[in-house]
Amino acid sequence: MLRRTLLSFAAMLSFAVQAQAQQAPAEIKIGHLHASSGPFASISMPVYTGLKIWVDETNAAGGAYVKAFDKKIPLKLISYDDQSSTATAATLYNQLITQDKVDILVADSDSVLTSVAVPIAKEHKQFLFNPTGTGAAFFIDNPWIALIADPVSTIWPKYAADYLNDEGAKAGIKTVAILYSTNDFTGTQASAVRGFIKAAGKLDIVYDQGVPTNTSNYTVLINNIAAKNPDAVLHLGYVGNDIAFLRNLQDSGQKFRFLFSIYPGIETEELLKNVGPEGMAGVFTYVTSAAYEYKPEVGWTLEQFRTAWNKANTGLNFGFNSIAGYTTGLVLQETLKGTKSLDQTALRDAVFALSGKLKTLDGPFVLDEHGGQIGEITPLGQFTAEGKEVKLDVVYPPSLANGKGVIGK
Amino acid sequence: MLIGAIISGLMFGLYFTLVGLGLNLVFGVMRIVNLAHGDFLMLGSFAAYWLFTLFGLHPLLAAVAVLVVFVAVGLPIYYGVVPRLLVARDSEMLSIILFFGLSQVIEALAAIAFGTSERSIPGRVLGSGPVSFLGQRLPSAWVFGAAVSAVAVACVYLYLYRTRLGTLTRAVMVSREEALATGIDVHRVSAIAFGIGIALAGIAGVFAPFMLGSVTPAMGADINVAAFAVIVVGTLGNPLGTVIGGIVYGIGLMLMQTYLSSWANLLPNLLLIAVLLFRPEGLFGRAVRRA
Amino acid sequence: MRDARSVSGLRRVFGDLLLAGVVVAVMAVAPSVYSNQLLLFNFVMFLTLSQGLNVIYGFTGYLPFGYVGFFGAGAYGFALAVMHLHAPPLAAMAVGAAAALVLAVILTPLFRLSGAYFAIANLAAAQAVYEIVSNPALEDITKGPYGVSLSGVFAPETSYAVSVAILAGTLLLVVWLRNSRFGLSLRAIKEDPISAAMAGVAVVRGRTIAWLCSALIAGLVGGAFAWQISVFYPETAFSAQFSIFAVVFTLFGGAATLTGPLLGVFILYGIYNTIGITVPQYFQLIYGTLIVALVLFLPNGLVSLLTKRGIRVP
Repeated sequence: MLRRTLLSFAAMLSFAVQAQAQQAPAEIKIGHLHASSGPFASISMPVYTGLKIWVDETNAAGGAYVKAFDKKIPLKLISYDDQSSTATAATLYNQLITQDKVDILVADSDSVLTSVAVPIAKEHKQFLFNPTGTGAAFFIDNPWIALIADPVSTIWPKYAADYLNDEGAKAGIKTVAILYSTNDFTGTQASAVRGFIKAAGKLDIVYDQGVPTNTSNYTVLINNIAAKNPDAVLHLGYVGNDIAFLRNLQDSGQKFRFLFSIYPGIETEELLKNVGPEGMAGVFTYVTSAAYEYKPEVGWTLEQFRTAWNKANTGLNFGFNSIAGYTTGLVLQETLKGTKSLDQTALRDAVFALSGKLKTLDGPFVLDEHGGQIGEITPLGQFTAEGKEVKLDVVYPPSLANGKGVIGK
Repeated sequence: MLIGAIISGLMFGLYFTLVGLGLNLVFGVMRIVNLAHGDFLMLGSFAAYWLFTLFGLHPLLAAVAVLVVFVAVGLPIYYGVVPRLLVARDSEMLSIILFFGLSQVIEALAAIAFGTSERSIPGRVLGSGPVSFLGQRLPSAWVFGAAVSAVAVACVYLYLYRTRLGTLTRAVMVSREEALATGIDVHRVSAIAFGIGIALAGIAGVFAPFMLGSVTPAMGADINVAAFAVIVVGTLGNPLGTVIGGIVYGIGLMLMQTYLSSWANLLPNLLLIAVLLFRPEGLFGRAVRRA
Repeated sequence: MRDARSVSGLRRVFGDLLLAGVVVAVMAVAPSVYSNQLLLFNFVMFLTLSQGLNVIYGFTGYLPFGYVGFFGAGAYGFALAVMHLHAPPLAAMAVGAAAALVLAVILTPLFRLSGAYFAIANLAAAQAVYEIVSNPALEDITKGPYGVSLSGVFAPETSYAVSVAILAGTLLLVVWLRNSRFGLSLRAIKEDPISAAMAGVAVVRGRTIAWLCSALIAGLVGGAFAWQISVFYPETAFSAQFSIFAVVFTLFGGAATLTGPLLGVFILYGIYNTIGITVPQYFQLIYGTLIVALVLFLPNGLVSLLTKRGIRVP
């Protein structure tokens, strides 16, 4: 009896040991796509580079710790180049899943290039780590996705709208003009901000126009907006649109009491190089984690990451997208730490378990039930010029504010 | 708003004349469609950017440098590619494909060499603050763009109508076969026209960072669409007709931005189709229809 | 003599059919051997698109540089039928095909233009359709720039099978064009439209039929594409890459043959997927250089290496 028990115990033990030895892989494969050329390269490359810095750093320390195996496992980043082509991206996502059999799938960073991954990942029940693809359609009826490193598009303009409805209305702002580029990212933000303003009912929208995303000249549009004499102007466009808009605005000599645009806060270095401090002074924008020191509980602080970025000598400007890539890495790190196995369902559970419990240099990580990111918010900030540099202060919401907004006369 | 749009469109359109001018010259002389035109323009932009960033060179001086270098680069490209192409059965059609390939090569090399960030030159380099023109406040860069364009058009006119080489060029434009038969060195004439064509693209590129906000290696494709609309409207193969094309395009674009802004990109495409179908000779020019 | 000719004619038809059959069979069984089905789908898609382009370019000499317009019309026709009519996928495919045909009919006046002008105008037309579909003013109809999500009909196996069927139909059409009087008359028009018209060939009718067939093929492929990937943006469905690849593949292999476009896809798209993965940063460079070299040194495609020596290629 005893012998039998011992034997079976030994068998169980050896089975367990064997199982663990079998389960612990020699490396964890992270599949990813980036675009080295084409229209999405300027967004995609910093995200990719940020992720790569995290992988290199982790491997230099012996790999990512996986609690399920109680050991560090080296990472292997397989990142293909989709050259901004969705058709190519689709086959490459499939390649990562079916041929390379990656353990973790990370999408490319723009919504357009993320979109094709969504049905493929869902079909193969492969959890999709989506760094910055905010397309609302991705999250409908889809348990296999989470937005990792920036908030859903309805969160983006919330504080800008709240500020206008609150402080703006107090300062006598009555009329608003909205000019947006007609693509998913900026178009949905325009809808959101329109909704917030109408819901509050304090301000009048006197100009509300979309322009094609490749618009590179805003002189006449600015004149047309000025003709409506709005107190506040919101320009919602991509980085190239913002550069052209702010330069044309400066050239035109036109001034608005309140001016908001997206990218000065997201790609500050790039805007500073192209628009200059005088063109950015007074502009309201999103304050991303590139300009606000969140206290990280995991990973580097902003300054440490910036140092690592500069040391890596990437040839790319440091900006929010760099942080988004690194943040994605940190979320992977914590997911691996907590997951029960490398099974996709276990990974999904591990990601959602992080919600509300993880704080990185990108702010608190919080997911809604659809996998939309709602923790890494974008407070409203305002630039002031300081010689050849600019300073960005958070002016809203009051709980995060480290400066006071100045609305023009 | 209407008057403002028209005046702005006029100035902006003059710049687009410069954008299309080289493309039209090349088409007129060689009957080839240079789909890499926008990429040569992009190279001009990066040349201006680096000359300014490294040496603080003023764009006007950069334009002169670009002119010299691009003509010099254009000659070997011509001899390497075009003579072979022109002996093919359907050279017009094949040229589209060949120059598409070339545009891919240029874009790839530029992306490898320069990276994909947006680049520009500070606006104050071309004077700060707006300039008043017919009661409209316009960016001073536009005045430069329009002025350089006007000078370029004048130079092309003088070249074509006041020099011996220009006379020969016009002969080739009328009929390549007859020009060959009368003993004109067609390749020499064409090579120089090709060099001038891409140099004009390069010069337009020098001012692109001001007119278009910023530049990237991928900008060529958008430029091509606009340039084609300009030269089709103006009259294909007639470099001077490009002036009309540019102005129609510029004013049309600004009116669209004013009244139907989200549809603005439809304009160059519809304009192009409509002109080809209903007035294929351009607003003045010769027939291109067949059958 | 008469018999001999018809025997050799039959042999030619048989050779063409054999090649078409082998390709279809290979693509049909491929998913059971190789698991990246989407890559296989892309192969089928480009095989069909190249042959569809071949129908108009190879047999009439008109190069539709905006061929993707029909593809996108098919994809959006499919999407609209699914979203608004809740149509079953096959019916939605028919709507997509109809959308492509309508666009083709609208664009028939472009045939008044000669070569390069036709190509450019066609490109502009495809752009214009894209601008309309992606305009936020039409959000209620097309979802504008925000993209469509058709996850309800997502069925990769079925849509793959349908795409292989479309490929089979397209290859049959090309075989017919190569071996029929109608195909011969098209090529006569291509060589010299005026003499052809004088010899009694219905120039306009012939061209129009080829044009509609070509558009129909692209529309069907577009519908299958929408069904296969199910979540897409207007940029995806109207990506210029579709036109460009179809043109380059056809040209590389050799237009007006059955083999040429097939070779073009298998070789070039094969290379694309290999070097695209191993040395991506130089990919665009290599591809561009290849196109330039091709036009300069082999303007009639790979098959011309054989046909020049008098060898008949299917």
